[in-house]
Amino acid sequence: MGRVAVVGTGQTKFEARVPEKTYYELAFDVAKEALNEAGITHRDVDSAVYGIYNDLFERQVMPDTFVHDYLGFYGKSGTRVTTGGATGAYAFRAGYAEVASGLSDTTIVIGVEKAQDVFDWAQYKSTPEVLKSIAYSSDMTWEYPLGVQAASSYALLATAHMRKYGTTEEQAALVSVKNHGNAKNNPYAQSPMDITVEDVMKSRMISYPFKMLDCSLYTEGASAVILMSEKKVREMGISDPVWVAGIGSSNDRSFPGFRSVNDFLGNYGDIADLRGHYEAARIAYRAAGIQNPLKELDLAEIHDAFSFTEIQGYEAMGLAHPGKGGKFIEDGIPQIHGDLPVSPSGGLIGAGHAVGATGVMQIVEITKQLTGEAGKRQVEIRNGKGLAHSIGGPGSSYCTVTILEA
Amino acid sequence: MDESIKRAKETSRKEFRSEPLEKIIDDLIAKQVASSPSPLMTSPYLEVPDKMVMTYKYSLGGISRFFVDLRDKGVLSGTICTSCGFRFFPPRVSCSECYGDTEWYEVNPDGVVITSSTSWYATSEFFDKVPYAVAYVKPSNADTGMLQRIDLAGRTVVEPGTRVRVVFREKRNGSVSDFWYVIEG
Repeated sequence: MGRVAVVGTGQTKFEARVPEKTYYELAFDVAKEALNEAGITHRDVDSAVYGIYNDLFERQVMPDTFVHDYLGFYGKSGTRVTTGGATGAYAFRAGYAEVASGLSDTTIVIGVEKAQDVFDWAQYKSTPEVLKSIAYSSDMTWEYPLGVQAASSYALLATAHMRKYGTTEEQAALVSVKNHGNAKNNPYAQSPMDITVEDVMKSRMISYPFKMLDCSLYTEGASAVILMSEKKVREMGISDPVWVAGIGSSNDRSFPGFRSVNDFLGNYGDIADLRGHYEAARIAYRAAGIQNPLKELDLAEIHDAFSFTEIQGYEAMGLAHPGKGGKFIEDGIPQIHGDLPVSPSGGLIGAGHAVGATGVMQIVEITKQLTGEAGKRQVEIRNGKGLAHSIGGPGSSYCTVTILEA
Repeated sequence: MDESIKRAKETSRKEFRSEPLEKIIDDLIAKQVASSPSPLMTSPYLEVPDKMVMTYKYSLGGISRFFVDLRDKGVLSGTICTSCGFRFFPPRVSCSECYGDTEWYEVNPDGVVITSSTSWYATSEFFDKVPYAVAYVKPSNADTGMLQRIDLAGRTVVEPGTRVRVVFREKRNGSVSDFWYVIEG
């Protein structure tokens, strides 16, 4: 496989609702920015990969075809990826495969999502319809009719973690405080906030153990990156780009009730542990030649759809021992000035979760950090390596881990 | 109780069960759009009321037997792989572990909560049920746990490890909401 570089990035501000843009207009803005940054035009692109999660959000089956048309990519390959919350990360993986395989020399990966065009006319607000659009991703026969939804899907795993390891709601609240705080230095973030652990604990219960401030919000926005083969990078005379060092993906069983069986992933734990995520990290670290992630990484963006999930992510990414994720945040290690800053962008809780765009946004953030262009939220770069961790699907089944190096 | 939950309960769509869905949505939108000032006039961008509705007559295929047994006999059915012995609940006609065939067996009414979460906010369809608990329950003679509702019986949290027993709805239509679990003892 050939080496693949990230040579251009684009992102919109993440916002609750963007009535002034359609999804293809959002995609256009980030494509233009990323192409400009790479010093190429849309004519130079060989293929496009689109990360768009939910047809119901876009009010359009096959929304990717209309993005492809709007961006003037007629005549080129276009593929859409949809893997729930991990859509952006899997789109990036597909884009990486395009270039690494030699199918394309230049590929654009665009993540985009609307969220709050769905609208509940009875409640006269969008939230219940947003929840419903997402809940339709749970198994429609066995699980949807029981009232399971995104928050309880993640909460079921968090409750198991609390039971197995004694992780506390206060430890999770520290993640929320950190990520809302980090977002204050990110001009693209949706939810910059100065809050305390007490604020999180007092916010209203959504799905036990998650309170309102433990949750990421619904977001509209887009992000894009340009991927290029090493040969093309040299031809273009691009010096010192950010390289993709490794990608690992692993999808666990979609029914978490099956995860207590001592099966192929049983060595990683049970329903309390993000088993597939351990496997994805192992594959990514092997590809990137990383032995000790805590020492070798300069930063990580971990998928904090909910605060507890980031704690489970520290463990699955090998930054903390199993069950020690709560202590990891108590010790301050993932703080912006800690030994390993986690989600300096603010993550999903602080920066927002524009589903299809989120995984691409993480790549944009790490690229900017590794090239020293992260402004007020810049972390110290010692080894030139950063990690993005992305989750999707019922029971957090999908996981992709991407490692970039400068 | 939170004020917004109270309001949500009052306006939840109970009428879904008695009137055609399309008509309810049409009436709701028409009423809101006609109100003065119209909500659609407040945005500088053209906003359009819309709906996407599909109707179905779907088949449950090989797992039909679970739902027929549930509806007609009030029993839970799982499957066991004839090659590797893996016990599937929810049932599967083919084994995902060794690709062998499975046969049906009766699943015990008692089980243990693997993990649980109590929801205090929901889509319109479930607003009138909050707070409600969902849990993965592993029956005493199954290898896996299945998602189900637990009767909170005045509690707010159901701890993992709690022993539970199945209860069947009197009038059953062959869906997973035909049964739930109650806490034992």
